Amino acid sequence: MRSIIFILIAGILFSGCKKKGGQSAVDSFDKAALLANTGENIILPAYERFRNSVDTLSQLQQNFISAPTEISLLELRTGFINSYKAYQWISTFEFGPADTEVARAHFNTFPCDTSEINTKIAAGNFNFSTIADLDTQGFPALDFLLYGKNGNISEIIGKFTIDANAGNRKLYLNAVVEDVWQRASAIYNAWNPSGGNYLQTFRSSTGNDVGSSLGLLVNQLNFDFEILKNARIGIPLGKKSMGVPLPDKCEALYSKQSLLLAQEHLKSVENIFLGRDKNGNNGIGFDDYLENIDAQYSSGSLSTAIKYRFETAKTKLAAITGTLDDAVINNPGPVDQAYAELQQLVVLLKVDMPSAMGVLITYQDNDGD
Amino acid sequence: MGALVHPIRNYLSTKISIAPLIVFRILFGGVMLAGIIRFAAKGWINELYIKPKFFFHYYGFEWVKPLGEPGMYFLFGIVGLAALFIMTGFLYQLSSIVFFLGFTYIELIDKSNYLNHYYFISVVSFLMVFLPAGKFFSIDTWIWPRKRVTEIPRWIISSLQLQLAFVYFFAGLAKLNYDWLMEAQPLRIWLYPHTNLPFIGSLMDELWVAYFFSWAGAIYDLSIPFLLSFKKTRLFAYSAVILFHVLTSILFPIGMFPFVMILATLIFFSEDFHLAVIRCLRKLFFIKNPVEPSHDVNPVTLSPRRVYRVVVAVFALHFLIQFLLPFRFLLYPGKLFWTEEGYRFSWRVMLMEKAGKAFFYIHDKDTGRKSEVMNDEYLTMNQEKMMSTQPDMILQYAHFLKENSLAAGIQNAEVTVESYVTLNGRGSRLFIDSTADLASMKEGFSHKYWVLPFGDN
Repeated sequence: MRSIIFILIAGILFSGCKKKGGQSAVDSFDKAALLANTGENIILPAYERFRNSVDTLSQLQQNFISAPTEISLLELRTGFINSYKAYQWISTFEFGPADTEVARAHFNTFPCDTSEINTKIAAGNFNFSTIADLDTQGFPALDFLLYGKNGNISEIIGKFTIDANAGNRKLYLNAVVEDVWQRASAIYNAWNPSGGNYLQTFRSSTGNDVGSSLGLLVNQLNFDFEILKNARIGIPLGKKSMGVPLPDKCEALYSKQSLLLAQEHLKSVENIFLGRDKNGNNGIGFDDYLENIDAQYSSGSLSTAIKYRFETAKTKLAAITGTLDDAVINNPGPVDQAYAELQQLVVLLKVDMPSAMGVLITYQDNDGD
Repeated sequence: MGALVHPIRNYLSTKISIAPLIVFRILFGGVMLAGIIRFAAKGWINELYIKPKFFFHYYGFEWVKPLGEPGMYFLFGIVGLAALFIMTGFLYQLSSIVFFLGFTYIELIDKSNYLNHYYFISVVSFLMVFLPAGKFFSIDTWIWPRKRVTEIPRWIISSLQLQLAFVYFFAGLAKLNYDWLMEAQPLRIWLYPHTNLPFIGSLMDELWVAYFFSWAGAIYDLSIPFLLSFKKTRLFAYSAVILFHVLTSILFPIGMFPFVMILATLIFFSEDFHLAVIRCLRKLFFIKNPVEPSHDVNPVTLSPRRVYRVVVAVFALHFLIQFLLPFRFLLYPGKLFWTEEGYRFSWRVMLMEKAGKAFFYIHDKDTGRKSEVMNDEYLTMNQEKMMSTQPDMILQYAHFLKENSLAAGIQNAEVTVESYVTLNGRGSRLFIDSTADLASMKEGFSHKYWVLPFGDN
């Protein structure tokens, strides 16, 4: 009994003394630096680029509806693809301001309901606020409005000029872009240090629980990455439908940009992991965190394993030929390989990374089992 | 034998004041009431018992079902009310039964909500049903003064102490494993993110701190029941209890448990201490005292009726089971933390960092086609997280998927799972034999041979 007490007391004293002259086995990882780098060099610039691209989109949309010509349509389409690409770089950050705006659901619920969109146009209904309206707005709706089911330019222009509902269609297009613009601006302003300065909130919440910045980022990164794996690739490939491909479920089905967007998204998540900005400057990211805590995977480091998987996943996505909606039917092999690669990445990002970092996934009480 | 048994029996049947039991009752009822209110306020009734589409039942308790939205709120209301009645000693006998049954029913609805501390509450409330905790300083004795009792045999208090001792001791015993002692896992992982804490934050990423916490935790758990039992070491031990539980509540999201333990361990304190607590409560709430419950003034001893023989028998059986349950894992081959066969109900608390992801597949044997299951269509985030690392839950979910496929018109479905699990910082690896048709596996306590051995791949 006495010896136990002695050990306890000695331990407590020992813990008190060691501190002063103590040497760290490893240098403490600076979580604040990770958050600062991610917030300042990745998230805020991504929102700024997105907001600017939507500004341009809005301008091009005005030009188009005031004079629907082949030139103004092609310009608008380019603006649309640029915005949709820029969106892939912000889709991960569904917390704070983006959560308030319910960004993912409003920007990108796909596939859109084309017949409902036509019904709403005919009825002059430009309401986007209810859950039932989610698949009639955002980028998927623009994709349909600007490309139509066969991409024929004169047919699209006709719908905005000689069609019986041409007037309403212009107003609908305008309303969709306006809604995207409102949300894009609101989120950017909320993050902006000269606006709501959520950046500061993000930087200063350095805990590891669910509501901390690290917890939010890791959880949303995983949630978003599973959207890439499931909604963007898996479902069109038939993973949920007993192997029957569903090409109509592709993102950006009408503009045929599914693969480009998936690649953008993958690059965006890789950059978040690496702490790398759009210009390729590599700052402090999750890879550094994992290296700092010496996280292991198989016989090597977890960080290396994840980096390797990102590379192979990018290669496999690039190996898919033609458009995704065509590939899932006519050449599904490479799509299947890309899907398998993304699945392995899901495991590393969702299981190994949070577990090694001690990041919590849910709000429930636990006792560790 | 007789020479040994007699002094123990004499000791256990010594008459002591009822005060420790009364204080225990008040604190237990009070903390339970607070716990129920907290649970409801966090929206967890809806989150855990109304929202989910599928519930992971306990083997043998398939008949325990959620009661729907009004039913669940009603049940929680009843249990909360019972806690209030226990605290105030109103209709104690009935209240304690209602609380035990109600609380345990809720816990049995979904395995994914299993926590050792909920199990602890079920166990203690079970013991409380048999104890005369409403017979002093209660609304019952205010209404029916003749029910009043001031003295009880010592074994009543000893049994509560023993239950607490079991919790600590088995929690300590469980810590005596290679990962905990030699690798300082999982504390090495869990402490590291806490560098932002005031004062102790800068220590949290030091490796030796993880080792110190691991060893100190194990020594604490194993020794605290003994240190609390002796007068000489009690104050020191109780300081350690407070320090330990406050620290764990800062470091880990373990809810009410630290406070439950800090208050429950007061049962180790002397009769005089508890008498003083009751005196304080009287003053605080202006409750008149008819008679001071001491040995000298009008002692009213609980009559040792025959029913108490039954209670002693029930308790003896209870503690025998309590003693054996944590060892049942020895009946299974393989690494306990990996297979979790015989893991629950054994006071294995905060013992491992385990995470997983399971991809389920439905194979239509008639067409040769297969589908992957999107788990979030059926499970909440918490359920999916819990299921992914626990084989019995993986099996239950697979059976659910099989039924689901039948309903969807697939007559001949196989269900397989490709699941990856990481344990205590070792990289994720395949957890379940990905070729095994889980739809054809039986639920039960027999060894699940389709769990792959740890470290074989």
